[in-house]
This record gives sequence, structure tokens and C-alpha cells, in this order.
Amino acid sequence: MADISLNLFGRKLKNPVMNASGTLGYGREIEPLWRVSEMGVYVSKGLSLKPHHGNPTPRVWEVSSGMLNSIGLQNIGIDRFLEEYLPYFSETKTPVIINFFGFTVEEYVGCAERIKDDENIFALEMNLSCPNIKEGGIGFGKDPNMVFNLIKAVKSVTTKPIFAKLSPEVKNIVEIAKSAYEAGSDGLTLINTMPGVAVDIRKGVIPIKGGLSGPAIKPVALKAVYECRKAVPIPILGTGGIMSLEDALSFFMAGAWAIQVGTATFVDPYTIPRIIDGLKGYLEHHGFSSVSEITGITE
Amino acid sequence: MEDAIGTVIEKREVVKGFFLLKFHLITPFSEVIPGQFVMVKVPSKEVFLRRPFSIYEYENGILGILFKVVGKGTKLLSAVEEGEVLSILGPLGRGFSLDSKGRPVIVAGGIGIAGVHLLAKKLGEGVSLFFGCANIAEKALVSDMVHLRPSISTLDGSFGFSGNVVEMLKNYIEEQTSYDLKIYACGPEGMIRAIKDLLIHDRTPCEVLIEERMACGMGLCYGCVKKTYDVREPFKRVCKEGPVFDLWQISL
Ligand SMILES: Cc1cc2nc3c(=O)[nH]c(=O)nc-3n(C[C@H](O)[C@H](O)[C@H](O)COP(=O)(O)OP(=O)(O)OC[C@H]3O[C@@H](n4cnc5c(N)ncnc54)[C@H](O)[C@@H]3O)c2cc1C
Ligand SMILES: Cc1cc2nc3c(=O)[nH]c(=O)nc-3n(C[C@H](O)[C@H](O)[C@H](O)COP(=O)(O)O)c2cc1C
Ligand code: FES
Repeated sequence: MADISLNLFGRKLKNPVMNASGTLGYGREIEPLWRVSEMGVYVSKGLSLKPHHGNPTPRVWEVSSGMLNSIGLQNIGIDRFLEEYLPYFSETKTPVIINFFGFTVEEYVGCAERIKDDENIFALEMNLSCPNIKEGGIGFGKDPNMVFNLIKAVKSVTTKPIFAKLSPEVKNIVEIAKSAYEAGSDGLTLINTMPGVAVDIRKGVIPIKGGLSGPAIKPVALKAVYECRKAVPIPILGTGGIMSLEDALSFFMAGAWAIQVGTATFVDPYTIPRIIDGLKGYLEHHGFSSVSEITGITE
Repeated sequence: MEDAIGTVIEKREVVKGFFLLKFHLITPFSEVIPGQFVMVKVPSKEVFLRRPFSIYEYENGILGILFKVVGKGTKLLSAVEEGEVLSILGPLGRGFSLDSKGRPVIVAGGIGIAGVHLLAKKLGEGVSLFFGCANIAEKALVSDMVHLRPSISTLDGSFGFSGNVVEMLKNYIEEQTSYDLKIYACGPEGMIRAIKDLLIHDRTPCEVLIEERMACGMGLCYGCVKKTYDVREPFKRVCKEGPVFDLWQISL
């Protein structure tokens, strides 16, 4: 019998399949169709120290093989999440990764400090795609030194494992990954959306500037996973355009320990449970006893 | 909520550019409230996201949607054939409230009729229906509701009241002696704004069905929001807290 569980940071996860942050609401919205506890981990929507109202519409825009989003990180704030939403995940024994962000080092640190030692919080995921408003608005994730200092600061206030979630909009993602690792990041999440715009040719305007996700970014994400796994010895969560079991397998083989499914859920809300089932079947059929046997098998 | 498999059992071009599609759902919906909608997977690789459509009619596992061809997705949808099988997620969102006091008045502009059709059927004889469209041909969109004696306006004056539906509604409201009306509206944003201007003096109870671009249709992405007067969380999801809103709670 193939076992699709995953041992990570001393914890046994049911399976290596998660949702990508911001694509499964606060979790329970999907429950009319399937239970969040079916996943190895639930990854929270991006949370911050203070609530954010988000951007005006249009916030989503279909493009070839994907979509642009500019949600603007609308969220209820870390405190409300911990109070109103976390208990449900504890009751259902669903490990949680808290995805969080800030616009200053202090906001990231403040947010991490709020996260108590709740056993059900498995890890933190730092969204590094935000601009640092104290450094002229340059993205935290673009500068290796800023990444290093930010992760160091967050690590000093938490005992939870940290995944640094990297933006692909950088000169050299491997260099950023190395900084994150040297600062003590316990793992990486690769990748966040890529910036893009759409043009409305009827009106001659740009209706949306946002992050590109979906199959359009899959090769970029696979390259990031493949190159970073060779450069740093920490677990990688792969995300970007995973629509099917085959896509998930590509990420494992490129070096991901676990995968996150985002945009695909909008197209087919059963993508996640189907990948979980498919993975079991695949391993059994090919005589593998665990996912780790295919992780990073590409040269 | 189900991600149902729907087999196309009927397709009809009601008026040029407006199609009625009927599906037989293998897993039927449990309960449908007027104003709720479905997310339809267009069977083509050229269309990535699902498309939202109001539930035009629903009975015993037979779902009808009425749509206007406006772009790539609706064009491809108008080309599906009987026997084709599509994924249909629904019923979604919060529909109209049916238990309110006040005499019901329905106002629909153009394809907005699709959003209030089931409501009109449910409310039945007691309802006043105002339908505004472009021309005489489009009055076929309410041909199955003649028993409700709809008041029809056309923009080109080729039938009924000449002008837009809100001007027609204004005349009606001015003739009323009592004001215990309950308005239900669905149509283009301009129409909703005009209704707001018309009703603002008395703040007549009014529910509106509004549209916004969607990705998931079920509250996962926060892509489809509408700004409301709620200070704590102004942006509400049209697919989850809507698509029907109290007119006096949204900021237009
Ligand atoms: C709750 C709700 C109910 C609706 N009910 C109906 C209905 O019963 N009948 C009907 O004809 N139309 C309805 N619409 C509008 C319908 O969804 C759009 O006309 C349709 O998505 C256009 O798709 P397209 O590919 O042809 O157009 P394109 O312009 O090529 O679409 C590109 C993208 O924009 C989105 N989009 C374009 N126009 C709209 C719009 N007006 N509202 C929301 N998204 C839009 C599409 O979904 C798609 O993601 C409804 C919309 C909502 C939100
Ligand atoms: C609507 C939407 C909202 C998102 N919100 C967040 C977020 O709050 N924090 C974050 O780190 N990533 C966010 N992302 C990025 C995803 O988590 C994921 O990294 C990206 O979409 C690539 O995966 P996909 O192609 O499977 O969607 C969001 C993506 C989408 C489409
Ligand atoms: S369309 Fe995703 S939240 Fe409404």
C-alpha cells in the first residue's frame, strides 16, 4: 500500500497536498463540496497585523491559460482569524499554515508575534511579494539583503517553522532562496504570482494590473523549484498552475516536497481531492511506497 | 451546492443574440432561491474560467439559463449542441427575500430579465413587472409572462412606452396613492443608479441583483466584491453575500 503521508518538521501530514494561499477563502467556503481536513494542510488567506479592505474592482481578469488578480490582500487581520477561524481547524484536526504579509519589517514581526503556540498551527508562510514602504516601495522579496534581514527578524520572535514564499519577479531566484536559507528559513514556497496587465481594446485602457496565475506560469514555477532545490537543502512547497495529477507529479519530480493548488480550484472545485486520490493510485500503480521516492528524481 | 453534470436538452435562440439553454442535471439541486446563479464551464480550451449565469428556471432537475452573446464564452456557449455535457456549479449566492411586506414590483432591463424570471414566476399574479428593452423584437424575452401583464418599454419606441424602464417606473410610482412597494431590480449599472435616484427620497425598500467579474463563484477568491456601507468590511463578495443586495446598503 502506498503511503502518501509526509513527515515534515517532525509532524506527520496526511498527504502532501495543500491549497495555495488566497484561493480557498477562509477555508469553510469549500465545505459544501469537500472537507478542508482532507488536505495535508490548510494554508490561510494572506493575513496582516491590521485588516485590509483590498482593491476596487475589477479584481480578476481571464487571460490565455490563466488569470490576473488584484485582490489587494483583503483580509480580516490576524487577530480575528485566530479568534474566529482557527478553532474550526483545531476541531477538525487540520494543520494550518498561516500565510502573512506586511509593508514594513515591524508589521511582519508584529504579525508573527501574535501567532501563539497553538499546536494546530503547523508553520508560517511569509509572502515576500509586498513592497517595503520604508525603503521606497521596493519589494521585500527582490533584494537578498532585505530578505535576509526580514526573515532573521521574524525568526527571532517565533518558534514555528517558516516558509519564505518567493516572488518570481526577481533577477535571480536562487540567490534570494539562498538568502532566505541563510537567514534561517525552514522551507520555501515557490512561486507567487507574476505581475502582468491586460488591455481592454474596446476602451483603450488598462483595466487591471495584477498577479498572473494558472497554467501560464507553470514552467516558470517548475524552473524555480528545480533550481532552488539544487541550491538549498530545505523543503520546497511547489505552486503555480497545478491543474491535474500530472502537473502535481511534475512538481514532485522537479523537487517539491508538497504542492499547493490555487487557481485550478476556481475552474474545477474538486481539483484538490482528485489530486489526492490520483496520487495514491499513481504510487501504487508504479510501485512506489511514498512520495519522497519521486521527489527530486530529475537530474 | 453541487458541481452538477448537465446534459443540454434544449437550445433556443429566443431573440437574435439571446439564447435559452436547458440542461438535465444528473445530480439535481436541492433548493433554488430566485436570484441565485450557476457557474458554467464552457466546453472549450479557449475559455479558462467558468461563467456566471442566473438561474432562469429550475424544476425537477431541469435547469434553464437565458443569456446574451457578449463575448468569447457566451459565443461558444451559444454553439453547444443538444446532448453535450457541461459542468454546472450551483446553486450559488444569496437570492431575493420572498417574505417581505409591500407590493412586489419587478424591474428588469434587457438580459436582466434572466435574473428575475424565477422570482416573477414565484410571486405570480400579484406582481407588477416592468421590462425595458431595446426594441420590439426583444419583447419576446417576456413572452412566457403575458399572464403577469408586463409593462414594456423600448428604447427605440417601437413598442410600448418609448424610453427607458426607469422613466416608465417613475410614471407608475407617481400614480400610486400608497407607497408600500417592494422593488426587485436587475439590469445594467446605469439602470440601478437611476432606480436609486428615483427611490432615494422615500428610500423605498429595494433589492438589486448585481454583476461583477468572477473567478470562483463560491467565495474563495475575493475577486467579485461590491463596496457597501459596512465600515468594518466594506467589500462584500457578490458571489457569496450577493448577488442580491439591499440597494440602500451598497455604494454605487
Ligand atoms: C451573478 C451573475 C449573474 C449573471 N446572469 C446572467 C444571465 O442570466 N444572463 C446573461 O446573459 N448574463 C449574465 N451574467 C453576465 C455574464 O456572466 C457575462 O455576460 C458573461 O460572463 C460574459 O462572458 P463572455 O466570455 O461572453 O464575455 P467576455 O467579455 O469575453 O468575458 C471575459 C471575462 O469577463 C467576465 N465578464 C464579462 N462580462 C461580465 C458581466 N457582465 N458580469 C460578470 N462578468 C463578466 C467573464 O465572466 C469572463 O471572465 C451574470 C453575471 C453575474 C455576475
Ligand atoms: C485570487 C488569488 C489570491 C491570492 N492571494 C494570495 C495571498 O494572499 N498570499 C499569497 O502569498 N499568495 C496569494 N496568491 C498566490 C497563490 O497562493 C499562488 O502562489 C499562485 O496563484 C500560483 O498558483 P496557481 O497558479 O495554482 O494559482 C493568490 C492567488 C490568487 C489567484
Ligand atoms: S468569484 Fe471568487 S469570491 Fe466571488
